[in-house]
Amino acid sequence: MTAIGAFVALYSVAQYDIGSLRRMGPGFFPVVLGALLAGLGLMIALPAWHRAGEMRPFDVPQALAVLAAIGLFGLGLQGLGLALTTAGAVLIASLPAPRRGWRWRLILAAIITVLTWLVFKQGLQMTMPVWPDFPG
Amino acid sequence: MNTVEGILHGFSVALRPDVLVYCVLGVVMGTFIGVLPGIGAMAAISLLLPLTYYISPEAALVMLGGVYYGAQYGGAVASILLRLPGTPQSAITTLDGYPMARQGRAGVALFASMVSSFCGSMIGIVVLVVLAGWLSRMATRFGAADYAAMMVLGLVAASTIGSRRPAKALAMVVLGLILGSVGTDVNSGVQRLTFGQTQMMDGINLVALAMGLFGVAEIIGNIRNAEREGSPPHVSLRQLLPTRDDLRRMPGAVARGSALGSFFGALPGTGSTISSFLSYALERRIARRPERFGQGAIEGVAGPEAANNSAAISAFVPTLTLGIPGDPIMALMLGALVIHGVQPGPLMLEARPDMFWGLVVSFGIGNLILLVLNLPLIGIWVSMLRIPFRWLYPAIVVFVCLGVYSVRGSSFDIAAVAVIGAIGYLLAMARFNPALLLLGFVLGPLIETNLRRAMLIGRGDPMVFLQRPISAVFVVATVALIAASLWGAWRRFRSRTAA
Repeated sequence: MTAIGAFVALYSVAQYDIGSLRRMGPGFFPVVLGALLAGLGLMIALPAWHRAGEMRPFDVPQALAVLAAIGLFGLGLQGLGLALTTAGAVLIASLPAPRRGWRWRLILAAIITVLTWLVFKQGLQMTMPVWPDFPG
Repeated sequence: MNTVEGILHGFSVALRPDVLVYCVLGVVMGTFIGVLPGIGAMAAISLLLPLTYYISPEAALVMLGGVYYGAQYGGAVASILLRLPGTPQSAITTLDGYPMARQGRAGVALFASMVSSFCGSMIGIVVLVVLAGWLSRMATRFGAADYAAMMVLGLVAASTIGSRRPAKALAMVVLGLILGSVGTDVNSGVQRLTFGQTQMMDGINLVALAMGLFGVAEIIGNIRNAEREGSPPHVSLRQLLPTRDDLRRMPGAVARGSALGSFFGALPGTGSTISSFLSYALERRIARRPERFGQGAIEGVAGPEAANNSAAISAFVPTLTLGIPGDPIMALMLGALVIHGVQPGPLMLEARPDMFWGLVVSFGIGNLILLVLNLPLIGIWVSMLRIPFRWLYPAIVVFVCLGVYSVRGSSFDIAAVAVIGAIGYLLAMARFNPALLLLGFVLGPLIETNLRRAMLIGRGDPMVFLQRPISAVFVVATVALIAASLWGAWRRFRSRTAA
């Protein structure tokens, strides 16, 4: 909580610099906002200084798995194609699910891959590779 | 075009086959997503927004609107059967809906919530038609200064009213405003805050932002809780029938809830969640035997459900006539309109009557479909609650990615979702409200444009905001709200240090 307040304040100081280098024109609005955010960040951070944080418990494995799945999708879609990235993303995302075992994950990955191919490639005619480009 | 002509014209749009199909699709999807606990209308609309690029603007808006009020219907199902609110708007319905289900009256509670939702929506539509015409005539007199002042008031109201920590809420709004100013400056063409990234020249993608903040963060938060739910009871059609006593109690609650909902829905900053809470409080206050509440009082289901649906409809009043969204979901709707090349505002009624009246009539049709469809389909919705979340969420993750990608075919945007999702999750964990960030993001460029225009007209004199009577009222109201919340914070501080 405090860390975020401080981060927000510092961040907006950085904004302030960027803004004030420019003329009144395009920089004006960000400068005012940066200053406002810095003030608010302090208003949040200062009273929170001597209190216990308000943080809720983190779900770290769940967060990492979901974010990694999305990251894989972003990086892999162009090179690996729709089918492999979808299946891979589903497998990664399902890692932290409470139920153990591999069989249901593989079945799920297969079902979702077919579904996305039907909806996005066949249904909506989106342009993207389905399989990786093998040279030759 | 007068109201009668408008409504007739609206029917000609809303009954077009493509529009009708997407209306049905929207309400069914909305109910589906609303039924699933943990995914709200916000995530649903951001998920479906990219898909609407492929259809006509009328059909797109009709569908997104359908998702919104459909989710309100669906949200009540999980609230009543599992005591897990399907959407935040129906959180209050758990208080009396779940006890009713425990007493074997789940069917009656579901019936009450659907009929009340329908009545609330219909009243909301009437309010929308009446208020929208009046407001857009008023609004043609608004100048740039008035717009800027009004939007600032809207943002301040949204973050201070009903917020426990106004400073945190305001910080979110300001962060949203800053994110909204990323990209090429419209007036000078200067690159702002892009850090040299060409992909950021067009600004941050609204869909990526909304999905990262809502979709991703909600999925992560729900994985852990997913397996805990009990299995819902079976509900047959016969059980839906209310007793005579139930029927006698409902109309008053529905009328009061709808009145509250349509009033607070149309105000900026207060939305359907607040209306449903207020309606519940009102029903309990005026009840002859308030101790029945919490034990399965049907008024506690009917009132709030009517309130949140009428608020969902009347929230379109400021969005469509002033171009100013009252709550974050409306901010997303506004974004959708702009993406489809429709500029909401006082001229929309004249310039795009097909859009406005088509939307109004589709609300009526959509709600009718919901009522007709949902009563027989209730068994399906109930059985859907049995699908384990572990099957659903990987699919949702993939749909999020492809949805974002489809907007402009950019893998960069998918990576952006991962980053925004991480930030959004951290913010949610620290009890910041990401919805306000989105509101600031959408309104930011509008405020900046109007502010600059006002300063240009006023030759750089900030007094221009006080000289125009309309903007002066907004400025005074804004200052009063800030003063009130500062006063509240000071009093809390005093009482803490004294204790």
